[in-house]
Amino acid sequence: MTRMTAADRIPNDPAKDELVARFLRVDQAGELGAVRIYQGQRAVLGKGRHGPLLAKMAEQERHHLETFDRQISERQVRPTLLSPLWHVAGFALGAGTALLGERAAMACTVAVEEAIDEHYAAQAEALGDDEAALKATIETFRAEELEHRDIGLANEAEKAPFYPVLSTAIKTGCRLAIWLSERV
Amino acid sequence: MTAAPFQSVRDRLVLAALPHAVFDGWSARSLAAAARDEGLDPTMAERAFLGGPAAAVDHLVDLADRLMAEEAAGLDLDSMRVPDRVFTLLKLRFERWAPHREAIRRAMALLALPGNAAGAARITWRTADVVWRLAGDRSHDFSWYTRRATLAAVCSATLLYWLDDPSEDSADTWAFLRRRLADVGRVTRARKQAQSWLEGLPRRMPRGLRP
Repeated sequence: MTRMTAADRIPNDPAKDELVARFLRVDQAGELGAVRIYQGQRAVLGKGRHGPLLAKMAEQERHHLETFDRQISERQVRPTLLSPLWHVAGFALGAGTALLGERAAMACTVAVEEAIDEHYAAQAEALGDDEAALKATIETFRAEELEHRDIGLANEAEKAPFYPVLSTAIKTGCRLAIWLSERV
Repeated sequence: MTAAPFQSVRDRLVLAALPHAVFDGWSARSLAAAARDEGLDPTMAERAFLGGPAAAVDHLVDLADRLMAEEAAGLDLDSMRVPDRVFTLLKLRFERWAPHREAIRRAMALLALPGNAAGAARITWRTADVVWRLAGDRSHDFSWYTRRATLAAVCSATLLYWLDDPSEDSADTWAFLRRRLADVGRVTRARKQAQSWLEGLPRRMPRGLRP
């Protein structure tokens, strides 16, 4: 049976167009943040031993951002008003954790990618068969984000100083950013 | 712009209210008169516009936006440069409403009241958004906001100019609009120049200070 997007909405839930607009808005904002996080990390660690690894992940995030940029233009969705904030905050988060050391940078990657994984999973779940292309895109990106998380874990993220505190703080920040970018 | 309930009744009411608004302003009185003219129950005006006359003006502008979109569908906008697309859309919009200039002046008077400031800003923003969408705006970053803000300012200024323009066929208004759009182009070019200058700055710094 085909399932349509927002078919199970109840009154006061966003209608399909608004739902898809929200998804694209927040996804674009998220990928913008990700690109800036990796730029921040590479500004500090780019010449270190993780340099090529960071470059590869940054390249994938840039591709994600371009995809959502294109979707936003094609569907004429309003982009988030907060993009200048994510521009600065993403770089600060990336450079800040990188300054705490390579392990902290990896811990930041793991925390961000875990939050994004939950978020993409929820979106893919909400999209029906009428948005199959977007759903497939999101699933592909989600798999790549999980790859980044595994890279982070393989590079001693959990041995970072104050790992539980750092991780919780970053994840909470990401969830707040997601909530805001969907709406503003 | 989904079809809201009451859409067609509202369309009929605001169009019928135009001649009354010239004399009575946008008021409950002119809306009730419009309902009578349309053969509707006089209380229909109040029921269709729960927000009162300000809601009726809001709907009038929304109707103008929809009509502009319909008209734009018949135009070959793709072959024009972007400023020309904006110019063409706005010119058509003003020309269509030229017979109702006085009613529009009264609508502006209502929107200028302090209590309606937020609504007036929203209406202007919505019109700027519709024009940009029709002009094929593809922005996906913060320029989405700056473009609409700039165009909203151009639209408002041109509307005020148009209201008091005594020239034949509003020729002065079109010249005014051309100049404003050229100003916007100049600002954008200046911004781009400043940006490329700033980006080149690190290379021009003394060797010791270069990042």
